Amino acid sequence: MLRFLTKRAGDGILTLAALVTLTFFVMRLAPGGPFSSNRKISPDILANIEATYHLDEPLLQQFLRYVWGVVRFDFGPSIRFRDYSVADILISGLPYSLTIGFWAVMVATVTGVTLGILGALKRNSIIDYSAGVIAVIGIAVPIFVLAPLMQVYFALTLRWLPVGGWGDSWRNLVLPIVALSLPNIAYISRLTRAAMIETLRENYIRTAVAKGIGGRRVVWNHALTGAVLPVVAYLGPATAAIITGSIVIETIFALPGIGRHFVDAALNRDYPLVMGITILYGGFLIVFNILADILRGWLDPRVRNE
Amino acid sequence: MTTTRLSILAGSWLALACAFAAPAFAQDDTLDRGIGSEWSSMDPHVNFDAAAGSILSDAYEGLVNYNGYDILPGAAESWEVSEDGLTYTFNLREGLVWSNGDPLVAQDYVDGLMRTLLPDTGSERGYYFTSVVQVVGAADIINGDATDASGLGMTAPDDRTVVIQLENPAPHVMNILGGAFSMPPLHSPSVDAGGAGVFVDPARVVTNGAYLIREIVPQSHVLLERNPLYWDAANVSIPFVKYHVTEDASTELLRYQAGELEVTYDIPLAQMESLQATVPDEVKITAGVDIVYYSFNLLREPFQDINLRRALTIAIDRETLEGRIVRSGATPNYSFSGGFDPNYNMPVFDEAAMTQEERNALAQELYAAAGYGPDNPLTINILPTVAEESVRRAQGIALMWKQVLGVDAVVEPQERKAWLDAFYAGTWDVFADNLVGDFPGPETFLPYMRPSAEAGYNWVSPEYEAAMDVASAQTDPQARLDALAVAEKILLDDYIVAPISIIPTRQMVSPRVGGWVESPVGYHNSQYLTLE
Repeated sequence: MLRFLTKRAGDGILTLAALVTLTFFVMRLAPGGPFSSNRKISPDILANIEATYHLDEPLLQQFLRYVWGVVRFDFGPSIRFRDYSVADILISGLPYSLTIGFWAVMVATVTGVTLGILGALKRNSIIDYSAGVIAVIGIAVPIFVLAPLMQVYFALTLRWLPVGGWGDSWRNLVLPIVALSLPNIAYISRLTRAAMIETLRENYIRTAVAKGIGGRRVVWNHALTGAVLPVVAYLGPATAAIITGSIVIETIFALPGIGRHFVDAALNRDYPLVMGITILYGGFLIVFNILADILRGWLDPRVRNE
Repeated sequence: MTTTRLSILAGSWLALACAFAAPAFAQDDTLDRGIGSEWSSMDPHVNFDAAAGSILSDAYEGLVNYNGYDILPGAAESWEVSEDGLTYTFNLREGLVWSNGDPLVAQDYVDGLMRTLLPDTGSERGYYFTSVVQVVGAADIINGDATDASGLGMTAPDDRTVVIQLENPAPHVMNILGGAFSMPPLHSPSVDAGGAGVFVDPARVVTNGAYLIREIVPQSHVLLERNPLYWDAANVSIPFVKYHVTEDASTELLRYQAGELEVTYDIPLAQMESLQATVPDEVKITAGVDIVYYSFNLLREPFQDINLRRALTIAIDRETLEGRIVRSGATPNYSFSGGFDPNYNMPVFDEAAMTQEERNALAQELYAAAGYGPDNPLTINILPTVAEESVRRAQGIALMWKQVLGVDAVVEPQERKAWLDAFYAGTWDVFADNLVGDFPGPETFLPYMRPSAEAGYNWVSPEYEAAMDVASAQTDPQARLDALAVAEKILLDDYIVAPISIIPTRQMVSPRVGGWVESPVGYHNSQYLTLE
């Protein structure tokens, strides 16, 4: 276990290093700079500002300066949001992304797995078909279509919930969480259903049934473990993606998370902020994949012994 | 720096735990305003964008104030201009104080300009004092030749007098001393103690405007509260103002319709017509100080022929383009600067008086004279930004050039920063250019077109330079405008750019909001508004 963790952590750090290097240099290939502007600013002023952010140094020196900073957990100043350091922005944005993301993962997992199991147990029943329809809608209709429709219906027509923003109450969270979890409910319920059907055909299930163990216990104690394995594998990267902030959701619901900063930073060539969010996202992805592997190993001896 | 060292993850889980207990700040006596993208800085000496400009002009007051076209006394109750137009003397009100009760003195305004200019501040705003107007000694401080205010043409002879000395006469200096891009004063004690970080810390920031900064949440909102120590507090009607980041115009409109916002930053193009039909009184469309013109690449051989430039300029049916194709509320423009000053006798290009049919016929003749025709069509590219409005406009123009002249024009939209870079790279035949001005008047645009100021157009015109020199020496406002009109006509007669249109500001304003006046620069200080 310790060897497994050490190896995975080592791989993760190497991956992050490659990610940092690649992102740093590829980003500089994009035309335009943070201070490109169509107000004709005098060269003296521009030189002062570039010196403030060390943008006047050779690229390699900037890279080394950046890496040295990252090693000390200093991610540099943001150029687009002049009042804040990159760390300030990540710390201020993460709680919002985490809150929405955490609940979206919860809702998606619980609902998705439940729908999947019910569909598998009562194949071709009304429940199965409705779960199927929900899944198809969730996968096929993009969030940017569904979310505004939900806003119009629940906020403008029924006046139950606010359109967007953050702060007043839990009511601000309902629509974003539902919108963010819908596609994941769809995927998870499909994955669970397929895995459940497959598991129910396995020999050990047949043995259990033959021994006279009741249907409910077979499902709960024997089949479920096998059925959630693919879901766990899916949840690793999906959780990382959801938690680091859905750009679309945050824009449509005007939420102050990380995702919007990422887009703003890229469009405005805020190099340090793009780097910071990339590292954060990469780190989350690696950590959640390791967690998913550990969880799968715990659930499935075959994975453990590999 | 301590926050930088904080473990990000630990901080966020802690905050996650508190997130559900977020404080409720919703007040019925709050004016909720959309500002588009997030402010780039709340530092009044650094900020260079309009979103923060609206917030900062509520929180900080310059020597003067603006409401619509009017220049009103601000911290200065009166001012005098010297005969030669080079010296401005401002008399501050008696008993001015900062929001913490400290007296506000003339030197605070000098300190504010110094902070803006000093290289360490890293501010782009020095541009106003070296490019838009030339304050004596400002350039020396920016380029590091001077490090103190001894040579600066802004002084405080006593606590209630500010003197500004200019290198050249510039009546428009009155247009940059207040409002969103004002010359704000500096409260040295708080900034000396806490650095630039105080500007985003509501507990420590000290302001002098009609409002105090109460809460700042990045990517979400800034909450302001009426400043009881403001000299005109008795006439500030709205107790709270909340500026919301509204990146997505469709969401912003929904929030407005749900009553979450009273003033929006923009209106989605797709909704314009239905809103104008259903709630015409709430749709506020004002020609903004923002002009669109198409620049021709003078380094490329075809465009060195004035016949071709002229043909392309007049073959655009601007009324159809803006009224039927783009439909963003923009105004067709036949001059370069778009006027904006009612006293400006604005020149237009010669064919402006013709009908479009006559223009098209003339364009075809000129196109043929330049050596092009059905067998030998001109093939060019047009570079707009990826913004929906710019792409629509470029496609409409390409279509008109095709129909009238048979030109094969390819529209190649560029992401904004790439588009800005492409201008200097010269990778275009026609550049879908635009300029955003700083004040309503031709002089906010015309100096940019001086070949000496902007090499990117590759235009050689001693006549234009000379005419602009004549204008910038004038001290009498009307004589100056007349001289500027002479220069603008030289620009138009050379057809190096095709004027297209004037971009509007589009906002939804709730009937609950009173005192809203038209402002081409978009100045709508909350202190002049009321809320039912």
